[in-house]
Amino acid sequence: MNKLTIELTINNKKRKVETTASTRLLDLIRDDLHLTGTKEGCGKGECGACTVIMNGELVASCLILAPQADGAVITTIEGVGDDKSLDPVQEAFVETGAVQCGFCTPGMILAAKKLLEENPHPDEEEIKRGISGNLCRCTGYQKIFGAIKLAADRLLKKDGGRGEEDA
Amino acid sequence: MHQRTVPCQGYFAPQKIEEALEILSGYGKEIKVIAGGTDLLIQYYDRLYEVNGWLDLKNIKELKDIRINKNQMEIGAMVTHTQLENSEDIKKCYPVLSQAAADIGSPQIRNRGTIGGNIVNASPAGDLLAPLMAYDAQFRLLSTKREKIVPVEEFFIGPKKTILEPAQLLTQIILPLPKKKTYGCWIKIGKRKALIIATITLALVVKMAEDNKTVEEVRTCLGSVAPTPIEIKEIRKKMVGKNYDQLDFNQLGQIVEDKISPINDIRGTREYRKDVAKNIMINALKEIASARRSYR
Repeated sequence: MNKLTIELTINNKKRKVETTASTRLLDLIRDDLHLTGTKEGCGKGECGACTVIMNGELVASCLILAPQADGAVITTIEGVGDDKSLDPVQEAFVETGAVQCGFCTPGMILAAKKLLEENPHPDEEEIKRGISGNLCRCTGYQKIFGAIKLAADRLLKKDGGRGEEDA
Repeated sequence: MHQRTVPCQGYFAPQKIEEALEILSGYGKEIKVIAGGTDLLIQYYDRLYEVNGWLDLKNIKELKDIRINKNQMEIGAMVTHTQLENSEDIKKCYPVLSQAAADIGSPQIRNRGTIGGNIVNASPAGDLLAPLMAYDAQFRLLSTKREKIVPVEEFFIGPKKTILEPAQLLTQIILPLPKKKTYGCWIKIGKRKALIIATITLALVVKMAEDNKTVEEVRTCLGSVAPTPIEIKEIRKKMVGKNYDQLDFNQLGQIVEDKISPINDIRGTREYRKDVAKNIMINALKEIASARRSYR
C-alpha cells in the first residue's frame, strides 16, 4: 500500500496526516485524528452519522477518500462550541430533549447548524429537508424539529436585538 | 470499526483535462475515475471493484462550470446536484433537470454527487437520466486521440453499461437552449422522499407552438422501467400537431403503461410500475396544462 500525506484544516487546526488513497475520510478523522465524535452508522451515506462540514458544505465522510480532502477545511462536532459554552444549537438540543442515545446527534447538530446558516428561519418542511440526510431511531424527530426551531428563534433574537440597538 | 482498505497503487488529481486523459490512456481499466464518489464508494466498499488506482477529477476547474455557449448550455461533468438545483440558468432553462437534482439523496449526497457521475454510473434508476433525455442532451467524450459527441440515446446500452471506453472521459453535458413556450414536469416515485432509489421517474417536456395551444414537440422519458432511460416515442404521434386542450390524457397515460416493460424488484412490482406510470403521465399532462394557462 502506497502511503501519501495530506494536509487539512480541521476545527481551525492545520494537520498533516500520513494515510492511503483508499482510506475513508471518516476513518482518518476517527482513527488518525482521534476525533471520535464523528460516528459510523451505515457506511453508505444513508444515515448521516458520519456528517462533517467540508469546505462549507455538509458531507458524508464515509463517502470521501482521504486524499479527496487534501487541502480542505473541515468542521467536526468537536469544533462546535466548547466545554465551557455550548453552541446555541447544542443548547437547544439539550433543553428540548432532542438527544436520546446520542449516536445521530453529532451529525444532526452539524446538519441543523448548516441549515440555520443558510436559512435562519426555516419552516417545518424546510427543517425536514435540511436534516433529511440524518436518521434518528430514538426521538421520532419531533423533539429535534423543536430544538431546531428553538435555536432558530434564539439566533434570530440575538441578531434582531443587535439590529435594534444599532438603530 | 476497523479501517477498510484494498490494495491501491496510486492516486492522481490532475489540474488539466489533458493530464487526466494522459493518465487514463496510460492506465485504462486499471484506474478508476472518481467524481463525487457517492455511488462509486458504496460499490467499492462492497468490494465490487478491486481498485488499483484513482483518478480524481476534483482539481479540474473547467469541469465545474455551467455556461451558455452560443445556442447551447454546457454543463461540466463535475457540476454537483446542489449546483444544478441552485443554478438560475438551469432553473430557468431546464426546470425538470433542476427539480430532479433537488430530489436526489440528501444534502450530503447532493453536495458531493455530480451530473457526470450520475451519467457514467448508468443506473437504470439514475435520477438525472430521463430529464437529460427529455432535453435532448449530448455528451462530450474525450480521449487523447479524439473527441466524440454522442446523444443520450446512444450512450446507455444496459444497466450500468455505457459505450464509454476505458481511455475516454465524459467532460461535458450539452443541452440545446430551450425554445419559448417549453413546459416541463418532473415526477419521482419512491418509498420515501429522501435518500431513495426511484421506483419510477417521469420527465415530460412539451414545446408549444406560437399560439401556446398546438403541441410542436414532446418528449416523454422514463427512468427505472427499463435497463436504460427510455422515451415513449408513440406519444409524439399522438400529441404533435394537436390542440393541447383536446388531448385525451387517459389515452396518453394508457400508451405509457402499455409501452413500458418493467421488471419486478425490491422497489416495486411490474404491475405497480405500469399502474403508476399511467397515473403519473396523466398528472404530468395536467400540471403542464395549468402551467400553460398561467403563461404570460
